[in-house]
Amino acid sequence: MLLQLQGIQKRFGGIHALRNGNLEVDSGQVHLLMGENGAGKSTLMKIVAGMYGRDGGQMLWRGQPAEFRTPAEASANGIAMVHQESLLAPHLSVAENIFLGREPRLAMGFVDRRKMMAEAGRLIQEHHFPLQPEWRVERLSPAGKQLVEICRAIQHGSSLLIFDEPTSSLSEAETKEVFRIVRTLRERQMGVIYITHRLEELRSVGDSVTVLRDGETMHTGPLAELTTEGLIQHMVGREVASIYRREAQPPGEELLRVENLSRAPLLEGISFSLRAGEIAGMAGLIGAGRTELCRALFGLDVMDTGSVQVAGKQVTIRSPRDAVRAGIALIPEDRQHAGLARQLPVAHNLTIAHLGAVSRFGFLNHPAERRVAEEYGKRLRIKAESPRQLAGRLSGGNQQKVVIAKWLVRGARVFLFDEPTRGIDVGAKVEVFETMDRLAKDGAAILMVSSELPELLQVADRILVMRQGHLTGELPGNTTQSAIMQLAALESSQGTLS
Amino acid sequence: MIQRLLPFFTLIALVVGLSLASPHFLTPTNLSSVVRQTAVINIMALGMTIIIIAGGIDLSVGSILAMGGLLGTMAMEKGMSIPTGVGVGIMAGMFWGWSNGFMTAKLRINPFIVTLGTLGIVRGLALIISNGLPVHQIPQGFSYLGEGNLLGVPFVLWILLVCAVAMHIILEHTRLGRYSFAIGSNPEAALYAGINVDFFTTAVYTIGGMLTGLAGMIEASRLMTGQPTAGQGYELQAIAAVVIGGGSLRGGEGSVIGTLVGAFIMGLLANGSDLLGISPYLQQAIIGAVIIIAVAFDELRKRKLS
Repeated sequence: MLLQLQGIQKRFGGIHALRNGNLEVDSGQVHLLMGENGAGKSTLMKIVAGMYGRDGGQMLWRGQPAEFRTPAEASANGIAMVHQESLLAPHLSVAENIFLGREPRLAMGFVDRRKMMAEAGRLIQEHHFPLQPEWRVERLSPAGKQLVEICRAIQHGSSLLIFDEPTSSLSEAETKEVFRIVRTLRERQMGVIYITHRLEELRSVGDSVTVLRDGETMHTGPLAELTTEGLIQHMVGREVASIYRREAQPPGEELLRVENLSRAPLLEGISFSLRAGEIAGMAGLIGAGRTELCRALFGLDVMDTGSVQVAGKQVTIRSPRDAVRAGIALIPEDRQHAGLARQLPVAHNLTIAHLGAVSRFGFLNHPAERRVAEEYGKRLRIKAESPRQLAGRLSGGNQQKVVIAKWLVRGARVFLFDEPTRGIDVGAKVEVFETMDRLAKDGAAILMVSSELPELLQVADRILVMRQGHLTGELPGNTTQSAIMQLAALESSQGTLS
Repeated sequence: MIQRLLPFFTLIALVVGLSLASPHFLTPTNLSSVVRQTAVINIMALGMTIIIIAGGIDLSVGSILAMGGLLGTMAMEKGMSIPTGVGVGIMAGMFWGWSNGFMTAKLRINPFIVTLGTLGIVRGLALIISNGLPVHQIPQGFSYLGEGNLLGVPFVLWILLVCAVAMHIILEHTRLGRYSFAIGSNPEAALYAGINVDFFTTAVYTIGGMLTGLAGMIEASRLMTGQPTAGQGYELQAIAAVVIGGGSLRGGEGSVIGTLVGAFIMGLLANGSDLLGISPYLQQAIIGAVIIIAVAFDELRKRKLS
């Protein structure tokens, strides 16, 4: 057995992040580590990789008790971790990153560049990675960066490779590529631990699985023994309707009408409309222009041509200010970065887009602000100690609600959700869907951009499909994944990694 | 909480320590001299506070202070009244603050670079305008601004009080203040919320420039000259006051009361060193060290919280 973990415990201050972490991996095996956000997956793996010490339990490495105090020690023993956020030096080349800290040397300590390039090239070729040793890492896509980290691990002679949610930022094609690589690693008799919370992808790579919940191992064993429903139940600890279905409402008046929107080089001649009370899905491959369309509609990028009407009124959108004034809200994919002022109290985050309502001649009315914050906090069931709690201290799901509630305060009626479920766990996803549903019932028009086709099929009343900057079609909400993929992928080339 | 209050305790400890160490410390003459010395830095630091809260920085305040003082005294030399001259000084500061803000917001240049540039430009222009010579022909009454007393306390203390209260109201009770916090905390989120980030960024630097111009007039009044070389190194002290008072160079944090405490700590360090006969060379080093210590404590506190 390569690695055995028994009863691992870890505390951070008063929080018991891990109570009972158990797991076994053998060489030539792909072991999935699953659980909701905060279940302790990353913590457990960081203990293995020497980033954290443990407070209890036992770790056996190749049958011997072991404790790695630093990542360097773990790496010297053959354990490497591919991180969710890339830990590479962006300004250096692929080869330099692969050999970072272990550069081949000439006499007097000079780096042997020629040897480094040659060895990196050999490594890349052997695995058929679409990389070149001299490419600068900052130019690579997220998937490309992960390949570099994998090269680094292989070059270091690792026998156990830990992937921390490798596909959360990758496109479909890139995900397939990562799976292919994981399989070749398995063939080379390496052990792989693969952290994930995406249910769809696991069957194609995993041999065995461990499910963590609240820091405890709920289940560990061969993957084949467990149904998907059983997995979800272990993860969330309760029966979850694995299929959320929205009751579509008869749509009301037209709230958004976009005609012939273009923006070079990507968007061309896009026309569609949204009605009050409906959720329209937007499908397409990575790079189809969905995010760019949202950005143009929200004024982050200025459109070259096109007309936009909000609730029957012609509007000109040249900046986010124009969009906000017109009643359009964007909930960006990167909510934490672009949606939330983490150091400010919840109340201030809620009113930031609509301070005019709680101020007079530029002076703030604090009691009015508090009332607004309390009202909307209740309406969206935001779990905060008080409106004065810092927004950064809330859980991910509640932060998301703050970002949405801000737009309710503002009275926005057209909502653009860009990948609303990316990076959140199963339980929180359902809550996001419910929030969107409530918005729609209250008369909002919603455009939901998502790469998760099953989710679009669950939530959207109809589905628009984009390909290479064009709107290629519209499908009813009860369509099939293959019908969407036909519109999204036809004639399109595969995604590339650089 | 205790670490948040650390600046206050430091200030109290300094007052107690200096009263015990030197019989000259708690005299009216010395105290009013501390207030006058500190007022210039204090008023500049108030402007720096809102700039730092909004995620910016202004390294050019020393040069702007000199330019304000110089143009204000030159106006009086040309025969303008004292209030007009003071107004000219403030307007000069305002203009350079605005141009810092404009370049930062519209040209999207890092404020560190913009204000490092204007630090050089404004100082150079001040030396050119004045031929490198100080302005001396100033009406006698002008000395009241920096050296006069009103109701038994230095006039500058009243000015400082008014500026501090005004800045506090701006920060805590106006949209401008709230937007400054939002922009400093997360500029992208502020943009996404429909805030006119460019306008408010420019406004914040303009206000900072105004206060620096005012500080420049006070400095000129205390020296009774318009010095093109005034204010060198003041940026260090103004930034230090904000940072010691809990302002974060990452933006989104800071307060008027904190900055006042920070500025007085710096003032007392300088005054105490004078009283105790510590060399002015060493004073500079002490101030530098205090900045690093203050920030280190603040970082430790934040790391513990997260």
